[in-house]
Amino acid sequence: MRPEPAPSIARAENSLYSSVLAIRERHGLERLGIAFWDSETTLQWAYNADEYFHAASTMKLAVLLGVYRQVSRGELTLDAPVHVRNKFRSVVNDQLYMLDFDRDADPDLYRNLGRTMTVQQLAYAMITTSSNFATNLLVDVLGVSTIQTALSELGIDGVKVVRGVEDQAAFDAGINNEVTASGLLKLLRVLAEGKAYGEEASAEMVKILHDQRFKGGIPAGLPQAARVAHKTGNIATVHHDAGIVYLENRKPYALVILTQFHSEAPRGTAVADVSRDIYECLASMNP
Amino acid sequence: MEKEFGLKVVDAFDLDAEVRSLLRPHEMAEDKHGRQHRLPRYFYEVPSHEAAKDIRLTWQFGLNEFLLVDLKEAQRLRNYPRYVPCAVRLLAFYLQRLREAVGTPLHIAVNGGYRSPAHKLSLGATPHMWGTAVDLYRVGSVVLRDQNSIETYNRVAEELSDDWWVMPYGHEIGKADDHMHLDLGYVTVVPREIKEDRLEVPQQVPRFAFEERRRGDRRGWPTDTKLPEGERIDADAPHSES
Repeated sequence: MRPEPAPSIARAENSLYSSVLAIRERHGLERLGIAFWDSETTLQWAYNADEYFHAASTMKLAVLLGVYRQVSRGELTLDAPVHVRNKFRSVVNDQLYMLDFDRDADPDLYRNLGRTMTVQQLAYAMITTSSNFATNLLVDVLGVSTIQTALSELGIDGVKVVRGVEDQAAFDAGINNEVTASGLLKLLRVLAEGKAYGEEASAEMVKILHDQRFKGGIPAGLPQAARVAHKTGNIATVHHDAGIVYLENRKPYALVILTQFHSEAPRGTAVADVSRDIYECLASMNP
Repeated sequence: MEKEFGLKVVDAFDLDAEVRSLLRPHEMAEDKHGRQHRLPRYFYEVPSHEAAKDIRLTWQFGLNEFLLVDLKEAQRLRNYPRYVPCAVRLLAFYLQRLREAVGTPLHIAVNGGYRSPAHKLSLGATPHMWGTAVDLYRVGSVVLRDQNSIETYNRVAEELSDDWWVMPYGHEIGKADDHMHLDLGYVTVVPREIKEDRLEVPQQVPRFAFEERRRGDRRGWPTDTKLPEGERIDADAPHSES
């Protein structure tokens, strides 16, 4: 039998629940999903963690896993060259589509049109600057079935990758990549615990995640000394962040915050606010 | 074999089994119209990346420009020594004329020069597999990604020579909307020291001396195969049909 949680943990969980509801109310969120796991206290906590959300760019975590799966099997090398070409096939009727240069978070990548970039360079751009272009090139290399296989092999349910990004025909047909907070949490734990194709591969993926350039989500609710290996996801109606938080003198915790709001509502700071509350909750248990 | 541009010309039947199976020398390949074409058999052997960069096929085109591929090409064929059909020099000759007509550099796309039959884009016979096709993604500073730019340069190429086949602009299969495709068709080049009888499809048993020498290394021929005395021909003797 598991021991009863210490009263301080129960109080902290209740307090966290109340503050999360307040944040949801304050930011007018349509939906909110949260899951975290703290390797220091072994505390796991969730709110609507099994609800599916549009994945936005958090699906790039799954693509990263797919890359390292193929590398670990010797079917791909990180230095393999990939033709940088702006032409992709929709999963709907194989329609060809192109990405809009101006909308990509990393327009610099388009300077390499017609040339090659290595798998490693693309993976880095896909995560750190959330390049949709790099992502689609890697999805082309891997195929969505390989990515989904990687997730299944690692026991990660709650993350569905069915297409590349900006596939408008698929979006119109309601075919979207989806994630749950608990699904992404499993993915992060596999990375944090060195179980994604070995400790070395896991460490390499975490290292890339540490170089994330967009810090308005989880890191914005943390002390400056915190280091976060994370991936954000933003479209008009969602703002997500999923990451592993490293603080001094304690083991890391993995945290996923998924938010959905009305398209006309301002994006706000809901993710950062939840991140702050969770940090304070955990800090209160580690005096 | 003869050396041209400092490169060795090889009969692909002499290459190791893995490379041979990827290049499929002299085999038939079917195009999208159901027409059969015989794949090239004679290749330049490119020993290193430095050699590919140094060797000029024309004064403005380096050999390396025709060898740009990504991971869609078989890994073994991305490693040196690499092989490119001898007809690539014809392509370079025609491209040089186009280069002079437009007066600005032509940029060959990755996977836009020679592609082996094992390349993932080689779904059917395409002149890329003969080394006689090229995809250009940029002319000077103009990136070819709209109808106007592609059709403008397509017209220049068409007016330059009837030998070019120019892929029309369009989004459908068989058309191009983000590059310019030019090709000379399924042209093979046979180095001048090769005699015409060597062009025949290899037979089930070796018939000529040069075939006999390779019999254990090719297509699973038994190494103890003996030729009838009347069909044994010295390598230096004139070949004749039996």
